[in-house]
Amino acid sequence: MLKLLLRLGGLLAVVGALAGLGLAAGLRAGYVDAFYARFAAPPAGSLVLGTSRAAQAIKPSVLAARLGQRYEGPWLNYAFTLAESPYGPGYLSSIQRKLAPGTRHGLFVLAVDPWSLSLPKKLQYRDADVPRFHHFKVVVFPEEKSMVSQLASVSQSPNLDYLAHYLHKPFYQLLLNTDTARVIERLHPDGWLEIALLPPSANPPLLRRRTTEKLATYRALAASSHPAERPLHGRMFYLWQTIEYLQQHGRVVLVRLPTGPEMTAIESGYQPDFDQIMTRVARTMGVPYLNYLHQPYPTNDGNHITRGAAGQFSQRLAADIARLTP
Amino acid sequence: MLFNSLHFLVFFPVVLGLYFGLPARWRAPLLLASSYYFYLSWQPVYGLLLAGTTLLDYVSGVRMSRLATRAQRRPWLYLSLTSNLGTLFIFKYFNFFVDAASQLAGALHLPLAAPTLALALALPVGVSFYTFQSVAYIVDVYQGKLEAEQNLGRFALFVAFWPQLVAGPIERGGQMLPQLRRPHGFDYGQVASGLRLMAWGMFKKVVIADRLALLANPVFDHPRRFEGPLLLLAVLAFTGQIYADFSGYTDLARGAARVLGYNLVLNFRQPYLATSVGDFWRRWHMSLSGWFRDYVYIPLGGSRAGRFRTQLNVFIVFLLSGLWHGASWTFIIWGALHGTYLVAESLTASARAALGQRLGLAARPGVQRALGTAATLALVAYAWIFFRANSLPDAFYVASHLFRGWGHLPTAQLPAALAGLGRHFGAELLVAGAAVALLAFSDYRAERGSVAAWLAGWPAAGRWAGYAGLLLAILYFGVFGSSQFIYFQF
Repeated sequence: MLKLLLRLGGLLAVVGALAGLGLAAGLRAGYVDAFYARFAAPPAGSLVLGTSRAAQAIKPSVLAARLGQRYEGPWLNYAFTLAESPYGPGYLSSIQRKLAPGTRHGLFVLAVDPWSLSLPKKLQYRDADVPRFHHFKVVVFPEEKSMVSQLASVSQSPNLDYLAHYLHKPFYQLLLNTDTARVIERLHPDGWLEIALLPPSANPPLLRRRTTEKLATYRALAASSHPAERPLHGRMFYLWQTIEYLQQHGRVVLVRLPTGPEMTAIESGYQPDFDQIMTRVARTMGVPYLNYLHQPYPTNDGNHITRGAAGQFSQRLAADIARLTP
Repeated sequence: MLFNSLHFLVFFPVVLGLYFGLPARWRAPLLLASSYYFYLSWQPVYGLLLAGTTLLDYVSGVRMSRLATRAQRRPWLYLSLTSNLGTLFIFKYFNFFVDAASQLAGALHLPLAAPTLALALALPVGVSFYTFQSVAYIVDVYQGKLEAEQNLGRFALFVAFWPQLVAGPIERGGQMLPQLRRPHGFDYGQVASGLRLMAWGMFKKVVIADRLALLANPVFDHPRRFEGPLLLLAVLAFTGQIYADFSGYTDLARGAARVLGYNLVLNFRQPYLATSVGDFWRRWHMSLSGWFRDYVYIPLGGSRAGRFRTQLNVFIVFLLSGLWHGASWTFIIWGALHGTYLVAESLTASARAALGQRLGLAARPGVQRALGTAATLALVAYAWIFFRANSLPDAFYVASHLFRGWGHLPTAQLPAALAGLGRHFGAELLVAGAAVALLAFSDYRAERGSVAAWLAGWPAAGRWAGYAGLLLAILYFGVFGSSQFIYFQF
């Protein structure tokens, strides 16, 4: 048995060393995927929260340049995707894990839109996990098993937990350049996700195809989802909880981000009174609500604003926050 | 617990350490406990089902062993068969048959409320495998071919042995029980050979099968978006995927059992090198083919009851084999297609031989073999369409559009077809091609003799470099996302 253990140990040591070297080289190259860097970054004092619209639209480095004197850092865009980070129990737990302990004067930009507060029409329920109240059923949030909800270590570098469980591409691709001939995808150290179509002046056929596909996705989503209407129900309850939690650590700002005109039309048709609801929430919670939905910024797929527009938008957002939160 | 999960990466060394660390008399109880742990990690409640059917089969076997005639044993046989096949029927087929009856009743304008009859039950993992293994055991005991196992723990381990519990191979009592009665110690050669087989199985699963799935899935999930070339690409990808997936699982199962000192039966013998569909079924999922031969085909009369009855028996067996794979019309048609192939193959045997003579192929056995292999692979791949399609309309769409749209390049459909491969689809296609070529070479070598013996002829440094290369290939090129093995759903 000793012979086998020695030989096996030697083999695994060599393989482990070569795999470790490759992994280190891949991580050093600076890009794993569209999420990893956020989980490898240290705990943050100020956060941008929301879904992919916020991930691509708000550059924390721009906010920090303008507001860094007033609010605590480090600054991080901790917004993911609609499937991963709609407002709910999973995202709230992840935010709590990511926030730097002891933060008192952070800035928290919460991007809101009807989608990040909606639930599917066909809901699933399970027994409440409350002793003596097992007859109660609670809603199963679709993102319950997602990476953002499940990942326990959110500030570790290298984040082996993430790499082992949630990196859904082969390791060898860490060593390849992620940019392709048609699309650039880079996650910056501040968590901002840069997406660009090539050539930079835009690529009309690709842009058209991406826009058509995105709009079709959202039309289907509108047909299968139920918007949040009542306070203290569904995702709205967790938006309240998120605001309440973050208010203990600094200042909260609600933002409705700009998007393409066709997406705006879909969204307005889906939930026409969304702004009134958010205005009420903002008033009740004592936080500002900034609505940029109808502002004309170019998009790269009808939904997310372009990387150039993200810089301009972040400047404007920083200026507006500076004005509103003296 | 999946063999390609982190959970298994912890489970296996722990079981192995305890197994070889404990005194010999504790090893079988440890294997039984670990087998139930392995099974309960999926659906704890179905552990009771496994334990219940095991106990009933054990009692039936023991009682039958004390009775002299078949007539006296028959009630116990029926009890056990009812329990096993009843379990299978309720969990796997009840809703399907109710649905089919409801559709028939609808067509005949008869009132039948199918939704109220439907059962909301999840299919217990591996139920098709362990019930078939138990049925084989109980029939063998009934026929006096096998002595009933008197030790309940040993019998429970025979049913629940974790390497082969959830997706086979379907073992026979005569093959497995004597091994369970023997003490097992540490054997370097056996352990090393088992680990090699496991590594090769893992390579097949995560590097080949799961990568080919990325090519096959987008097309099979939305087949109407595609035609001709891309449908064919998806069909070929699935043809490779299912072989790498299931034979990879079997290698992992046989390898793990071998490390523990047990030999499980061979389940695959280079099936895609078969020269006829009949030959294919002597090489593909051999433990299931053997089961159907011994417990369905022969009891139906086999080939002893005339030409027509023989062909009918073959067809019935393949229809049932299709149904065994899943309670769906797509699987039934897949089975029927293979039954039709075999009947046609048998009926045209002499005509094909005469044609071969006329074309001079008999003098060129290499060409004849190559043509036979190509034709068999084409027929088998075509049948996989029905196996993989999500619905019957999808299957018919793919089957009927496979040869349309070849007049132009499918540039507009290409991005959607390759979407599963991600941004680096060029690199992914290269890796997939290289990995499939390695599998094909391995099968080619195995067809000419033992691969293990061939490897043993290498210099030690080359061999160890090969092992390291295989492990690195798994780590670097593996597609990890804990995707389930295809045959777990059966």
